[in-house]
Amino acid sequence: MKFIYTIILLVMIMVSCKQEPKIMEWQLATTVALEGVNPIGIAQDAEGIWLSDGDHNRVVQINDSGEVLQRIDSLDRPMHITAQNGKLFIPQYGNDQIMIRDTDKLKSLVVGDSLDAPAGVAVDGSAIAIADFYNHRIVWTENGSDWTSFGQEGNAHGDFYYPTDVHLTKDRIYVADAYNNRVQVFDRQGNFLNVIGEDQKMNAATGLYVDDASVFVTDFENNRVLVFDTEGNLKQEIKKGIAKPTDILMRNGQLLVANYKDSSLSLYDWKEAVLVVDEESHDHDDHDHE
Amino acid sequence: MKRIIIMTMILSLFAVTGTQAQKNGKQMDAFEVQVDGLGCPFCAYGLEKKFKEFKGIKKVAINIETGDFSFLYPTEKALTMDAVVEQVKKAGYTPNIAKITRADGTVENSEADAVTQITGETILSEAAITVAGKCGMCEARILKATSGIVGITEAAWNKDSQLLDVRFDEQQTSIDAIQKVVAEAGHDTNAYKTSEAGYADLPGCCKYVRIEQ
Repeated sequence: MKFIYTIILLVMIMVSCKQEPKIMEWQLATTVALEGVNPIGIAQDAEGIWLSDGDHNRVVQINDSGEVLQRIDSLDRPMHITAQNGKLFIPQYGNDQIMIRDTDKLKSLVVGDSLDAPAGVAVDGSAIAIADFYNHRIVWTENGSDWTSFGQEGNAHGDFYYPTDVHLTKDRIYVADAYNNRVQVFDRQGNFLNVIGEDQKMNAATGLYVDDASVFVTDFENNRVLVFDTEGNLKQEIKKGIAKPTDILMRNGQLLVANYKDSSLSLYDWKEAVLVVDEESHDHDDHDHE
Repeated sequence: MKRIIIMTMILSLFAVTGTQAQKNGKQMDAFEVQVDGLGCPFCAYGLEKKFKEFKGIKKVAINIETGDFSFLYPTEKALTMDAVVEQVKKAGYTPNIAKITRADGTVENSEADAVTQITGETILSEAAITVAGKCGMCEARILKATSGIVGITEAAWNKDSQLLDVRFDEQQTSIDAIQKVVAEAGHDTNAYKTSEAGYADLPGCCKYVRIEQ
């Protein structure tokens, strides 16, 4: 009898081991209204979340309820911002300058080249990359002093058509090649490596965020965020809670999406997918029975 | 008494306009342009930035929601309506209405839409024409093109269906003529394809998937 119980137990364990792995996805947790703020770029530092508000020529810091805690005014169309070590980097589309806010003081970054509408900036240590919108290129320094650039107007791999955002990882430069409707990946010498999202019919790939596993892209005109793995395979299309998205950020395991049109910030949790069973597919049998 | 108050208010308004037009002692002309399809901040700020390159331009203001774009420019430079419309087009946008109020009070308006004469005997036809496009700016460009066609009384383009719904008088225009005008404006139809140069001139966000002829 004991032997039979042991066999049953083993079978149950084997069956349980064969269960399908859980399917995880980003699910809308909440949407925070941003009164009077039309967000374009989003960044975080020890003080909290910062948003660039291009329409109102300012950058604002908000709390979790969306209330403005402090603001940096008199900017000229600030775009995709970033933060590092207590410094906030603000590209100004309107006057071609990159401003650095460091403990309440603003100074201009000295870039060894002339920009025409900087739309995004990324920083990693002393390395800085700038999306130079009207010049269709990325202006780049690895050491913070020797500047170079790569890219030109066009749609071949390595070319750009109005780049709007850039993101740095330890060995890659990711570019939101906005009006070529794709993301391009380069090594940190500016050599083309890969293209992401070219087959997804995006319409203005305006903002991006990259972590170890995923590349997140805002598809502005189509009101969605696309999530790819780092090889460029589409993992998820997020549409719920999205209205003309412009930028993305990961914060404490939550995904934050800046909605320009709605003046809002949508927050997503990484949760087990809720499978919706299409009842009709069970009701009808479309097989041939000859 | 009421009349006096109204007159005073009107005179006050003229005084304010005059002050604005003579900012810093310089005579300034006031320009107002209504541009469709400015849904994207990169587009809107780009238009603003390109106009700021005009030396002497002042008080550049742009409302992304309404597409209202205005600025002041020195009268002595005699900026023409054609130059303004051309600059807007060069920046990749479609001006709907443009108005110049010169410093001396003279008002100039851009070319009006075509006027279609309708009589009681006119029989209007309806058609849904395939027109390729991608965004709000495409819509503005397509409708601007149709507004210049004598014979069309109504037009609407839908991005999702890629269809241009028109009501028109067959005595004054035809489906073929409409398609030709729209293609010349930069948008492929089933019957006519936009030239390579015309397509290349479209702004980035308007680069639609072309219709194979």
